[in-house]
Amino acid sequence: MGCAIVVHVYGGTPTEATPQELICIRVIGASNCRYTYIGDVIIAVIKEAVPNIPLEISEMIRAIIVRTRKELKHDNRMIIQHDDNATVIIDQEGNPKGTRIFGANAPKLRQLNFTKIVSLALE
Amino acid sequence: MAVCSTTTLSIGGSVFSGQLRHWEPNESKLFQKPRSRFRCLCLNDLHLLRFRTKTLNFNPRGSLLPSLYAYGKEADDAFLSKVNEDTDEMFDDLMKKYGEVVFRKNDRKSPSAELDDDAESLSFAVEMAKVASDVKAADIRVLFVKPLVYWTRFFIIATAFSRPQIDAIGSRIRDLAEKKYGKVPSGDAKPNSWTLLDFGDVVVHIFLPQQRAFYNLEEFYGNATLIELPSETQPPFHT
Repeated sequence: MGCAIVVHVYGGTPTEATPQELICIRVIGASNCRYTYIGDVIIAVIKEAVPNIPLEISEMIRAIIVRTRKELKHDNRMIIQHDDNATVIIDQEGNPKGTRIFGANAPKLRQLNFTKIVSLALE
Repeated sequence: MAVCSTTTLSIGGSVFSGQLRHWEPNESKLFQKPRSRFRCLCLNDLHLLRFRTKTLNFNPRGSLLPSLYAYGKEADDAFLSKVNEDTDEMFDDLMKKYGEVVFRKNDRKSPSAELDDDAESLSFAVEMAKVASDVKAADIRVLFVKPLVYWTRFFIIATAFSRPQIDAIGSRIRDLAEKKYGKVPSGDAKPNSWTLLDFGDVVVHIFLPQQRAFYNLEEFYGNATLIELPSETQPPFHT
């Protein structure tokens, strides 16, 4: 398996009223994991933020990866690849902090029990 | 010289039929940068899912090998000029012009079978709503979201006023679904301010009042059909 998002690499967030750029620090559930894929929960720090949002630069947050530039291979041998790396910021309970989610989401998220993100997604 | 031929393209086992042509590197000067990927359209129920797949036909030295691209049946040089525009517009034009289905799943059911499945899911959803009402959940709504989303048929949205009540509603729904219908939900196992139970065709959302107002799923799915429940399953909304 190749790498998807390497720890300490920039990624974006597609939810409304959320930061633009994050940097992944840690993967939850795996020790010393270097790479993350769609559906992984990560600890990230905000590097760039749009104005007038409740989150600030240098704030530590939890996020779920919803899109990766690295292709994702499904069991039906279809390969899906996105144009960007994107995450959805969540709280400690696992609920999304935003109310709507923009951009395409992989169907795999529902299989990984992230149906809340799929419910709030426009696409 | 480009040669047009009708053929099929298999991507990871999926077969797409259409007109393919070989693109020669010196044929067209319109490409500043050859595209390394193309999209294929899949018809899944009423919704189009667009996947971006990767073609790996580049010579490591940098020169280009002939690449395969799917075009319409009457591909011509004028059409080639549109490739530089947004690919979304290109595929929209293709669908309007030809209206063809590029790929169809083999497991598509007949309309009567779909209606039977909808009726079965509806009865399940109404019964779950009744269970929620028995545990004194408030403002229970059953929405028919199948025309809006591809991944489920019905939403049940209910409000509970405390986490123990959310836990009670969730456990009662799980028990009844497992005993009577043999369905085991995925989703939240622990009580949460927004607890979600995913039965596949039916998705149950149980909110605390603040979360229900915050996420406002009824507005998001405002175009969904509201299913009228029997009067005893709709207690007055507690403010």
